[in-house]
Amino acid sequence: MSPEEEDYFLNPPPGSAAARAVEFGIDLTLTLENLRLTPEARIRKLDDHLIGIAKLKASAKLLGRIDESTRKSE
Amino acid sequence: MSQLASLSEELANFIERQIQLLGKFEVEAVIVGGVAATLHGSEIPTTDLDVCYSRKSENLQKLAAALQSVHARLRNAPEDLPFRLDAETLKSGLNFTFTTDIGNLDLLGEVRGLGYYEDVLPGSLVFELFGYAFPIVDLAKLIVAKRTAGRAKAMVAVAELEALLERQTRLDES
Repeated sequence: MSPEEEDYFLNPPPGSAAARAVEFGIDLTLTLENLRLTPEARIRKLDDHLIGIAKLKASAKLLGRIDESTRKSE
Repeated sequence: MSQLASLSEELANFIERQIQLLGKFEVEAVIVGGVAATLHGSEIPTTDLDVCYSRKSENLQKLAAALQSVHARLRNAPEDLPFRLDAETLKSGLNFTFTTDIGNLDLLGEVRGLGYYEDVLPGSLVFELFGYAFPIVDLAKLIVAKRTAGRAKAMVAVAELEALLERQTRLDES
């Protein structure tokens, strides 16, 4: 990817769609990372993400809640 | 094997395997939705594969065979709801959401804002994915579909897709 192509996402020109996306909360550096991958690698990353989320859900155990009074007593 | 390792194995490469399934059964379909967005470069994750399929009789037969092979059942439908998975059933419906042995798979006979397979296919980009050639809906059409869906999640995707489209247009012009 040429530096110009990267620059469009890293320093979006004012009024561009990229600038609007950033205002919308999109992290275009992550989009850029994805663009550097091959199409198959993009799918595999998605699959890895699904596994990661499922593992997180399966391993998460709620241990309790910190007492609200903790802050006051500090 | 630990519970988490077994979970990894169960979930391994769902989207990859779904694409291979459709390729193996030579199903005529265009990849749309979040996976199409990913292939165009989007970083917004998605959990299922959406495809717009051809409703020709021969294709419905292939699709039914593919779905049967992974024990597809209707998602969020009561367990006891009678459902026969064959070409006739697919013909009598239009859009289906399935859960399968290899994850969730959404089959769209019609994509809101775009139309049927014959409308979605022209202009698609063909990618080679896991040994099969697959059409992926064109970026501009994907934006129309997301806008038509109108959901908040879709609108966030639109902002990123429009940036990708503008970038692509600039590259084509330079």
